[in-house]
Amino acid sequence: MNSAEHAAVLASGLAGVGALAGALLPGRVRVIAVGLCTAGLGGAGLAAGLLATGGGHWTAHLPGLLPMAGVYLAVDALSGLFMAVAGAVVLAVAVYGTGYARGPHAGGVASRGVQCALPLFALTLVLVPAAASVSTLLLLWEVMALTSLLLVLADQRERASVRDAGIWYAVMTHLGLVLLLAGLALFAACAGGETFTALRAGASGLSPTARGTVFVLVAAAFASKAGMVPLHPWLPRAHPEAPSNVSALMSAAMVNLGAYGIIRVAFDLLGGAPRWGWVLVLAVGALSAVYGILQAAMASDLKRLLAYSTSENLGLVLIGVGAAGLFASSGHPVPAALALAAALLHITNHAVFKALLFCAAGSVARATGVRDLDRMGGLRARMPATTGFFAVAALGAIALPPGNGFLSEWLLLQSLINGLTVPGVTAAIVLPLAVAVIALSAGLAAAVFVKALGVGFFARPRSAGAAAATESPPGMLVGMGLLAAGCTGLALVPGMLGNGLSRAVAVAGLRGGPPLSGNGFELRLDRLAASMSPLWVAAALTAGLLAAGTLIRLTARRGRRSGVRLWDCGGGAPTPRMSYTATSFAEPLQRVFDDVLAPEQDVDVTPVRESAYLVERVRFRRAVPDRIEHRVYRPALAALARIGQGARRLATGSVHLYLGYGFFGLVAVLLALAVGW
Amino acid sequence: MTHATTALLLTAPVAVPLAASAAHAAGGLRELRPHRRAAHALPRHSAGPVHRPPSPRAPAEPAQVTGPATGGPATGSAAAGPATGSGGPGVGPGGPATLTGGPRTEPPGPPPLGPDDPAAAPPPATGPHAPARTTGAWLGLVSPATILFCGAALATTVPQRGPVTAYGRLLRADALTVWLLLAVGAVAALACAANPAHLAHERADAGTARRYNLLIHAFLAAMSAAVLAANLGVLWIAIEATTIVTAFLVGHRRTRASVEAAWKYVVICSAGIGLAFLGTVLLYYAARQAGIPEASALDWATLATHADHFDPAVTRLAMSLIVLGFGTKAGLAPLHAWLPDAHSQAPAPVSALMSGVLLSVAFAGLLRYKTVADAALGAGFTRTLLAGAALLTLALAALLLLVQRDYKRMLAYSSMEHMSLIALGTAIGTPLAVSAALLHIAGHGLVKTVAFCASGHILRIRRTARIGRVRGLLAEAPALGVGFGLAVVALLGLPPFSLFASELGLARAGFAAHHSGVAAVALLFVLVSFAALVSRTARMVLGPPPEPEAVADGPVRLGVVAAAPLVTGLVAAAALGVTTGPLTRLLSAAGEIVGRH
Amino acid sequence: MNDSVYTQLLDLACGAFLLAAVVVLWLRQLSSIIRVFALQGAVLAALAALLGVREGRWDLLAVAVGIGLLRAGALPHIVRRALAAGTPPPARHYEEDNSEAREARPLVNVAASLIGAALLTLLAYAVARPLVELDPTPATRALPVGLAVVLIGFFTLVTRRRALAQVVGFLLLDNGITATAFLAASGVPLIVELGVSFDVLLAVLVLQILTTRMRAAFGGTGIDDLRELRD
Repeated sequence: MNSAEHAAVLASGLAGVGALAGALLPGRVRVIAVGLCTAGLGGAGLAAGLLATGGGHWTAHLPGLLPMAGVYLAVDALSGLFMAVAGAVVLAVAVYGTGYARGPHAGGVASRGVQCALPLFALTLVLVPAAASVSTLLLLWEVMALTSLLLVLADQRERASVRDAGIWYAVMTHLGLVLLLAGLALFAACAGGETFTALRAGASGLSPTARGTVFVLVAAAFASKAGMVPLHPWLPRAHPEAPSNVSALMSAAMVNLGAYGIIRVAFDLLGGAPRWGWVLVLAVGALSAVYGILQAAMASDLKRLLAYSTSENLGLVLIGVGAAGLFASSGHPVPAALALAAALLHITNHAVFKALLFCAAGSVARATGVRDLDRMGGLRARMPATTGFFAVAALGAIALPPGNGFLSEWLLLQSLINGLTVPGVTAAIVLPLAVAVIALSAGLAAAVFVKALGVGFFARPRSAGAAAATESPPGMLVGMGLLAAGCTGLALVPGMLGNGLSRAVAVAGLRGGPPLSGNGFELRLDRLAASMSPLWVAAALTAGLLAAGTLIRLTARRGRRSGVRLWDCGGGAPTPRMSYTATSFAEPLQRVFDDVLAPEQDVDVTPVRESAYLVERVRFRRAVPDRIEHRVYRPALAALARIGQGARRLATGSVHLYLGYGFFGLVAVLLALAVGW
Repeated sequence: MTHATTALLLTAPVAVPLAASAAHAAGGLRELRPHRRAAHALPRHSAGPVHRPPSPRAPAEPAQVTGPATGGPATGSAAAGPATGSGGPGVGPGGPATLTGGPRTEPPGPPPLGPDDPAAAPPPATGPHAPARTTGAWLGLVSPATILFCGAALATTVPQRGPVTAYGRLLRADALTVWLLLAVGAVAALACAANPAHLAHERADAGTARRYNLLIHAFLAAMSAAVLAANLGVLWIAIEATTIVTAFLVGHRRTRASVEAAWKYVVICSAGIGLAFLGTVLLYYAARQAGIPEASALDWATLATHADHFDPAVTRLAMSLIVLGFGTKAGLAPLHAWLPDAHSQAPAPVSALMSGVLLSVAFAGLLRYKTVADAALGAGFTRTLLAGAALLTLALAALLLLVQRDYKRMLAYSSMEHMSLIALGTAIGTPLAVSAALLHIAGHGLVKTVAFCASGHILRIRRTARIGRVRGLLAEAPALGVGFGLAVVALLGLPPFSLFASELGLARAGFAAHHSGVAAVALLFVLVSFAALVSRTARMVLGPPPEPEAVADGPVRLGVVAAAPLVTGLVAAAALGVTTGPLTRLLSAAGEIVGRH
Repeated sequence: MNDSVYTQLLDLACGAFLLAAVVVLWLRQLSSIIRVFALQGAVLAALAALLGVREGRWDLLAVAVGIGLLRAGALPHIVRRALAAGTPPPARHYEEDNSEAREARPLVNVAASLIGAALLTLLAYAVARPLVELDPTPATRALPVGLAVVLIGFFTLVTRRRALAQVVGFLLLDNGITATAFLAASGVPLIVELGVSFDVLLAVLVLQILTTRMRAAFGGTGIDDLRELRD
């Protein structure tokens, strides 16, 4: 056993201990013990992943587990990257969680079931990339689904919406499982074996129909896990209702596994998919990116906003993956490798900044008691550390320097633009559209996060809860600090990942040499003769800001500052509630994209009882529903309910009917036999 | 293993429950005699299960003392068991008195109870043997323990050494038998452990409790006989006996709904099993025409080896009737409609036993016939029949689960769904598929028992069987909420429970045998039933307690006695899902018996 | 006896057997139905005895006696008693409460039932062709009658509205199966025959007890009252 394997075994052991601790220990000790075990687990996962990306591979086979199948595990550079990302996020969020789950606001998070499920969920996040057979992958996938469901339902006693969110989440996860099971079982049947080695070996013998079917089923399942449109409705429902440390884990580590699955199955196991499949992936990614960021722009619930932003970022990742596949299938491995490397780097960056965003949102929700941006505000003075962390993460999400998202989007654009040299009509149409989509989503993302940061944290507090907010306890701050350090590190020192990314891309079978190289502070794209040094950019920006600041300070007018009352149109002093809210920030965007969003507006006028001309109360309600959920899912569910009601006629309670079924069955079978079946 | 030990191991699973049943009957007989003198005006305590004051509107029913010619149904199945054949008629008179004494003391005075209102006024415990009854109830674990022990003992030798027989090939145990014995024993142990709590809640008097226990043990004996029988005719007799024995268990509660359920159950199952007997007769005819002597023309081992000489057309006709007939008892379409009614009206431990093992034992009987038919016809014919019945049942169960409003009926439809998955596995026919189906039988039995026992407790606490009226179970009774929730999680096919491994195996086998269309359709219906079960169970289990004041002084405690079967069942199902351990060889051997490449 | 007498007696018995089943479909008074059913039991016993005499087997004759006692004696007696328990004695001389004792509104009217019976007999003949071809003896040539009675019995079971009429339908089904067993292979092994007979007896007893409970709970034995358990 090499050290990577040692680390994995340690992680599993810690998960078991943590689960037992969560189930058995009493109150206060429980949270700390589980937090420690989970943090240790995360650290072990991070170590195992880093060792694997550094070149250490291992495999394991446990034939006794899982009846009729056996457990196969194997780690290479690609899975190591995802393990490392998951491990890092788990480590930081576990530390955050020890603070989050303590105190009177904890609610359901500190209960036995949730604390028992947390280390197990973390373990599956770390181990899913290590699965090396169909059964093992499905086993870990389902354990992940079950534990995350239990975690999402943590607050079910307080709100009824938690239960509905849990039901949606469970059913959509199972839909994904069914698609995944069908696709992988078909693949295993055609290839003649269920371990990944057997699948790789047998993939060349697949007929084009089988290959296409397997690809579509598997890609649909993994796309649903990644929150891609149209299989995304679970994402904006589950994330707001789950506790924030769980949302962080889900958004930063679980959705990545959707991308991992597509890369692993399509590039590695299938050995390449048909071109239309890659265009499909790219299209789905582009659609999700735009739709996600639009919905995020409209959302005023902070966690719903972040959930849709996850959808957008994973959409960008899938654009990269689709482009990589497109290039590879037309025989251009160099831009393919670059696109895939960009996608992987974006996954890493997104994991870190999204986890930080959710942790900060959680600390705000815990301190103020509200999730609605329209009711926050004035938090910069009351919660300075949280505001700082949120700002760092938002900078990463906006994808402008010096944030860490900038580098991966830059790489993605580099690969797409350089890929325009690839001949072919498909590439010529699809790639410029993809570039346009990335630009659009980047612009909208900037709007979204300026809204989130500005409206949520600056200005005056707009509700009593916001006014009463205090800074979070040290456990939460340490966790967020770790993530912020990660964001900054990834932003300024990207080269540390360069070799790991190259090795991961090599696993996907894209020949053409390492796409990236770096010496720490600089990232070089050798094949394309381009390079980027974020440190210099950051330094330049800081210098510029300092210069501008000094200039303003020097030339500012000295003199008395007079205080003047704001003009209030004669209507009385403005209250903080009248300030610029998230809804008003988003309104111009909503007008522009009105056809896509289709907001619902409802005005309810209640007149005084005695006279219909005097108004007692006016109620205005506007919502921007998830249009795909309204147009696709609700009719489908209604149709299913109608079919069910129709089926009730099959069980009316009449003995004559029941016996009649048997009689007709018998007569039908006898007739068939008499006719000569 | 010596011949005597083998004979003992094969006889004990049938003999011990019969002896227990006879002991209960004898206890009733002993109690009956002193009361015969003071007969007239007093309502009968021990003989009359429902103790109601006689109303003036009681019809003048003539005294129905049936003669000793009609033996009690419990001991009737002794005709099949060879060792206790002599003991059967001897304990005859005790049985019918407790049975036919019932209707005499039941005037139609009190208003009939609605279908979703359980026995609202349980009769006071006037039986004089209350403490003895408790120990008697715990002694009831002896029969399941015997079955389990014999199964385990046989499991050590049968996979290596092959099948064993006793009494000149009257009883036979191969790997399939041993697996089913283990499943029956485990489920019966859990259900019988839940019996005392159930009877204590019902505050049943000694007579009712005695009759109940008598029937349960007779039921266990009949199921063991069905599993151990080497002769297809004896198999049929044992399965028919289970219908007769469980008829009164289903109608135990004497409500209108129970009577309705019992009537439908007996009529539909008798019709179906009659068709199965016709099929057996035709198979016997085909065997005799193929030259097999009369003495062994219904012996399964002989038929399985000589079936390739059978006339195909006759075998086809026989097999169709058998699939229809045994499919009735196994809950497959088209004669499936008794299942939701019977399983929802029976007491919880009885529902657990019926759902958990009766369906599986009936299906295992079908499997025996399937091996014979496959040898005669090739695997295609039975595969089409079974797959058709299974998909039809699965579709019905999935669609009707969407509109369920009663949680016991919901669990019953879930049993139909799982039985159709088992049938699909055997229809696919490869050894992997059959092993997965057998694992599914065991896992489903364990988990369904836990689910039904938990639902019995829910009925006791909330006094309603409607899903819409049960809320916040986790908040009000945490242990019960966790138990029920985990049982449903296991039924949905989530790890670590063994149903995940078996459903995964079934899907893999289905795709590997190139039946992708069937497997895909089955997965779709399973998804629909998943959605239905999840939404209903979530509404029942989650949420704040309905009356916060009631739980202010602490949640409802289930008690160790009541919780032990639930916990044991879930742990066993989880252990089976992690590894089959020492049972791996047994499972693969059993799969080889039925499965063909 | 020689072959032609045997064949004629066999065909006579089978004809009477089938006729009894069709007459059950035609009648509406439950007491008459039970009488015809008892007659059919006697014919079945005669059939078995005939086969026993033909093949010279004592055990078959003993089985025939047993069948006669059971199906012509014990079973009709139980059903008759259940019927009597439900019908209260007439209060006044010319008044009779007949609702329990007859099929008032049949689910399928008599004409359609008879046509159905004819169609089912045709189906039985079509289905039984391979059975007859396998071993063409006079006995097996009469096999379709057994199958026809099975189908007619099932049809009766499905379409009757009184509980006791459903019981008679089930017993017709069982008679048909027994007849098929005798005609095809001269009966099944003794132990199986004993077990089957015992099971049928117990099943009828159970049904009788359930009928009494049904009467107590629902106030009658109409099957259409049993509609409370539904989705």
